[in-house]
This record gives sequence, structure tokens and C-alpha cells, in this order.
Amino acid sequence: MTKWTSRFAVAMIALLAVTGMAVKSAGANEKAEPDPQKSQYWTPIRQMMFGDREILDGKDILKVYLNTRADDASTVPVSVKAQIDQTPERYIKTVYLIVERNPSPAAGVFQFSPESGRAQVETRLRFEEYSFVRAVAEMSDGKLYMGTKWVKAAGGCSAPGGANRIPAHLVGQMKFRFADDTLEYKKPALVQLMIRHPNESALSSDFDADKVPQFVRSVSVTYAGKPVLSAEVDFSLSDNPSFRFFFVPEGEGELQAVVEDTHDKRYMHRMTITEGVPLPGS
Amino acid sequence: MGWLAAWFVASAALAVEIELEEVAPGHFVHRGTMEERSAENLGDQANIGFVVGERCVAVVDPGGSLAVGKALKAAMRKVTDKPVCHVVITHFHPDHFFGAAAFRESGVQFVAHAGYARTMAVRSRPYLNALRRDLGAAADGSEVIAPTMFVDKVATLDLGGRSLELRAWSVAHTDHDLTVFDASTGTLWLGDLLFVDHTPVVDGSIRGFLEVLDELARLPARVYVPGHGRTDAPWPDGLIPERDYLKLVLDETRAALKRKRTIEQAVDEVGTTEASRWVNFEAFHRRNVTTTYTELEWEE
Repeated sequence: MTKWTSRFAVAMIALLAVTGMAVKSAGANEKAEPDPQKSQYWTPIRQMMFGDREILDGKDILKVYLNTRADDASTVPVSVKAQIDQTPERYIKTVYLIVERNPSPAAGVFQFSPESGRAQVETRLRFEEYSFVRAVAEMSDGKLYMGTKWVKAAGGCSAPGGANRIPAHLVGQMKFRFADDTLEYKKPALVQLMIRHPNESALSSDFDADKVPQFVRSVSVTYAGKPVLSAEVDFSLSDNPSFRFFFVPEGEGELQAVVEDTHDKRYMHRMTITEGVPLPGS
Repeated sequence: MGWLAAWFVASAALAVEIELEEVAPGHFVHRGTMEERSAENLGDQANIGFVVGERCVAVVDPGGSLAVGKALKAAMRKVTDKPVCHVVITHFHPDHFFGAAAFRESGVQFVAHAGYARTMAVRSRPYLNALRRDLGAAADGSEVIAPTMFVDKVATLDLGGRSLELRAWSVAHTDHDLTVFDASTGTLWLGDLLFVDHTPVVDGSIRGFLEVLDELARLPARVYVPGHGRTDAPWPDGLIPERDYLKLVLDETRAALKRKRTIEQAVDEVGTTEASRWVNFEAFHRRNVTTTYTELEWEE
């Protein structure tokens, strides 16, 4: 079982302990949007994730949608939408979603295939402070493209920590919410996967290295046994993680989500999809 | 209100002007500004103050920065020379607690809701970073002080000749709201369970908030101090505008979910008719809809 994200998170915290502190004073009083090319935060993250590989301007490949002023630092909706179709010849293989100034910047790594129809995912992020959000697409030919957006997390009492504790017996509960009332086979369907989970943060100042925070580290959705969405995620996602994405039901089948967290808990949710049969909405 | 007395204490060195109003015998309130936090107002945004007993003084919220806490203390010293025995912090929001260090000395108990520590652990760093961003060097010395006394349900503070009843509420404005009640004068300090004119803020549960407001309305208060703003409405009528706002946000968000609106759509659409009624609406209303949406989307 891969623990890539957890390892990565720990490495990132260590990295920030070294570099983050050094640049903290520079960023502390910054109110205007800085130059994304000159970000001191991005350089070490970029090195660690992509080494010396060239990263091209992603405006024709993918777009990042976010409010420039985040209303609630604990719940900031974000959409990453491909600007190209997924074809066997050329498709987006992976999308890396990065909140540059969070203690663990890699919020999610999403895998797509030519069958995804369109590489698109919506989720919700936490913000420790004002930050660039970067989405890097890795193409089937190995090329990298990036879209960037500057986000001012709201001031006041808004903060990344979730307000309420989730009762233990509800952790791992899941729900599918569909955008449409019924589905048609072979047509893309938009669905939201909701997961009840504290997604505990190592942002916490009482972070104890011996006590691993409990956060979701992987999400895998299949339809009739075929992959739909596969993601390695992190505590830069809001509590009660949410993912909205497309899938194409080729015929009757089971939509299944499997979620694993850092406490090695595994949660599963499934439902059978039949054309024309009313779907659960809200 | 003839029995009110006002003290004006200004100190150029501290750059915060503390105007005290004695809302009931021994209860002194300073009203914060409704502006956004800045290096000019130094985070002086919340209603803060203190209660004087025969033996000692209880501070209720030390204010939004060390400078505000110091200015409050200086103003207090013009009114009483009794020692401070308690600093009650109504909840862990930066405009209410960051002045605590001004009152740190031996014998002073810092009092908070039992649920305070968890939020303090998660939010201390981002709150400190944001304070430095907004106040610059003027943030120096403002710090998070861990409470030394926690209230699970109720507690009584004896100030000598005057008792304060502390009550820890279930999740409402936050998940750790604390109120202070003095039965001898019927004075109730509400913290941010009540916003007057300033847009109410939901950082806990909107349904819980509405339930707590119903319970609060039954308390036998005669004088009450909201966390922000002022009102002459008799108790409990002063709760009504906030209650109506929260009910509207709740109902409209629930309806938006029924219509399968996304969180982004709901934030753009819900409660917009309230905009002209509240100060700082832009900064807080959209956030309230976000919180409400994420609370209600699990309802069914």
C-alpha cells in the first residue's frame, strides 16, 4: 500500500520547518498579490515535486477556478477544469493541486485516464494564510502545464480549523449527490462524493509527532469495476472532504467509493445505478 | 439613563482610546469599532470590559491586541484599584482574546469554556500570522494565553459581595461560547452570542445558534452587553434582528440545497436581501452561508 502522501506530508513539514520560517517574515505583512514567478515558497516545492523539469504555461490545458477572496479559510471551493478532451493520443494523466503556503502544500494528486471523458475535479481547501494555488497537469507525453491563482483567505476570525468535532460513529459515512435527477447511459454524469471525516490537520500547534493526525489520504471511485477518480489527498482539504467529478456509466453498474485514512481505517460506500431511476440528490 | 456614567480615558502612547460606560453598577463596557482590523485601530473591535466586586475585578474579554488590553487596564485603573482575579474569555476569536497578556500576573485566573483548548490548538498560529499581517509591528507582544480554569457547564466567580455566574453553551456562534451573568444587577455579558448592527458570524452551528438564542431569551436579564454594537431595545427584544437573520440564512440555504445549488451558487444567492441591514456584510455573510451549507448538506 502506498503511503506517498503521508511520507510527502512529513517531508513537506520538515521542508517548511527549514525554508518556511526563513521566508515567513517576508510574507507576513504582504497584502497585494506577489509575482507568482518569484515566489520563495514555490521554488523548494517545485524542486521537490518536479525537479528540474520544465513547467509550461497551462492556460490552454487547464484552468483553476477560485474566489480571489476566500470567504471562509476552512472551506474554499476550488475547481480544476481541463481545457482539452481526454483522447487516447493525448490526455491529462495527473493533476497536482498545491496550496503553496500551507504547511503541507500538496492538497491532492488526482489521476485521470482517457476514459475520464474530461479531467475535472471540484473540492474544498483550507488556507493557513494568503497563498497561491497551483494546479499542475502532467500529460500523457510527460509534459507539465501549470495554472495559478492568488487567494486572499478571509480575515477576521476565519481560520483553517474546522469548527465542530464530528461524532466518532459518523466518521467515514459517505454520500453521493447527483446534479441530475436521473442518469442516461453513455452520457457524462456529474456526481459529488461527500465524506464525513475530521481530516485532522498537522497545522495544529499542539501537533505531536507521536500522534499521527487522522486525515484522509486516498480516495478511489470506480464504476462497474473501472476507475473513475483516484486521488492521494492531504489535510489541506477541508474537513468532511468533498469531490465533484464526472463519470460515464456505460450500462447498469455499481458506483463504489473506497476511502483510506492515516489511521489505516478503510471506508466503503456503493450504490447501484440504473438508467432512468431517480437518484438521491439533497 | 441617568444612572449611567461615562469615563473617557485616552492615552496617546497606547494609541487606543478606551471609553468606558457603566451599564449597571460595577459593570464597565468599552465598545469596539465596527471597522475592519488595521494598524490604526489595533484590533479594538469587540465590546470588552470588566466587573468590579468588593474584593477584586473580573475582566470580560481583554480585547483584540496587547495594546487594547493595556489600554483597557489603564482605563480600569482610573475606576478601581482592586486587583484583577479573573480574565473571562468568552470565546477564542482574535478580537476578544489577544489582549490577555496585559493582565498576566500571579493570582490571575484565565477562564474559558471547556471546548476552548481544541480550537486554540488548531488556530493559534494562523491567528497570530493574520494579526501580524494586519497590525505589523504593533502586533508585538500580543499572544495566546492558555486558560487556567475551564467551565464545563456552569461556574461561579466570587468577586466579594458579587457573584458572577458563568455558563458554557452548546455549539452556537462557536463550539465554546461562554456567558457571564450577575444576578444582583441582572447584567448579562453575551460575548458574540449577540451581534447588534454588525453582521452576525456563524463559526459553530447555525441550528445550534438559533436554539441557544431561544434559551438565552428566557434568562432574567435586565441589562445586556452584546459582543459587538449597542442597542436600547429591552431584553430580550434585542435578540430579534440577529435571530431573524440567522433564520433567513438557514431557510434559504436549505432551499438552495433542495434545488441542488452548489456551494458557490448558494453563497452568491442566499440572504442577499439582508445586505443593507448589517455592517461588514460582504466580509462575513458569504462565510456564514458557506458554514451553513456545509452544516446542512449532511442533514436528511
